[in-house]
Amino acid sequence: MALLALPAAAQVKSGSEFLSPGMARQQADETRNPGFFWVEQGEGLFSARPPQGQACIVCHAEPRQSLRGAATRYPQVDAASGKLLNLEGRIEQCRVERQTQPAFGHESAELLAMTAYIASLSRGLPMDVATDGAAKPFYEAGKAFFERRQGQLNLSCQQCHDGLVGQKLRGDTISHGAGTGYPAYRLEWNSVGSLHRRLRACSLGVRATQFDFGSPEYLALELYLAGRAKDLPVETPAIRR
Amino acid sequence: MFNARITMPAEAKAGEIVEIRVLTRHPMDRGGQSDGKGGTVPRKILNRLTATYAGDQIFRFDMHTGVASNPFVSFTTRAVATGDIVFEWREDGGATYTRTSRLTVT
Repeated sequence: MALLALPAAAQVKSGSEFLSPGMARQQADETRNPGFFWVEQGEGLFSARPPQGQACIVCHAEPRQSLRGAATRYPQVDAASGKLLNLEGRIEQCRVERQTQPAFGHESAELLAMTAYIASLSRGLPMDVATDGAAKPFYEAGKAFFERRQGQLNLSCQQCHDGLVGQKLRGDTISHGAGTGYPAYRLEWNSVGSLHRRLRACSLGVRATQFDFGSPEYLALELYLAGRAKDLPVETPAIRR
Repeated sequence: MFNARITMPAEAKAGEIVEIRVLTRHPMDRGGQSDGKGGTVPRKILNRLTATYAGDQIFRFDMHTGVASNPFVSFTTRAVATGDIVFEWREDGGATYTRTSRLTVT
């Protein structure tokens, strides 16, 4: 039962460690990494004035300083509502409540671009999400999700992403499931996509229920993965297979 | 949705070989999917990229449906005179996109 021999969650490595050298170079090279188109689009949206209300940049002046490190603290619990919000959720909340604009919608090019831009401002900074206090129940729920066997194949996330890291699954190398590069440019998508889109692909792979974008299950899992990836640098926009 | 990133040196000595890198944002939709109304979605890709420098076409890239989304291409040219290198993409349906990048020759 080698499958069940689980080493204690050893050193969690970034997804970039599992890239081929050529793809790792492409990821680091702004002239060849297509993810930077989304970052550029997000930068434009950030200072664009919506039909009513104010542009993001009016409140968040000097985003290179004021929002540097912001992405390292997401997902986090929203103090007012008590809900767990990831970076996408916070952007949508700001847009709907403060800018009084219709939400962009999950996986829209605009939301991906904004998320990629804001996350890219934290490139190289270590992940540092709160997993205690108000976030503790969410973190525990995410951990339980990670460890629970699910789907027709009856696999838990942990069995592969702790137990079989470094081995091959189809043509790819199994990683620790650190989401530090998302929103990432995935070759399979030919586009930038969110971590939840990636998680839906994982759920489909084990023939389990695919939860919605922004669902409580995936948010809790995202928090757990971010907690596991503590101190790993943010790499958005990363390139993934 | 079109966008392009052109990377090349701003200056070069006369006779020097310069490398030009062009990364393009485009879905490169090969078409053929159902449009949900009984028809099919037409092909919509960038089918040609040309670069013109000092009055000459220095590069042409004919693209077909085998080229992935967000194509990247790099090529070299010899620096001959100070001027703009004009990049032009031709899209299915007739739209064109243009970008210029200046090369100063010393």
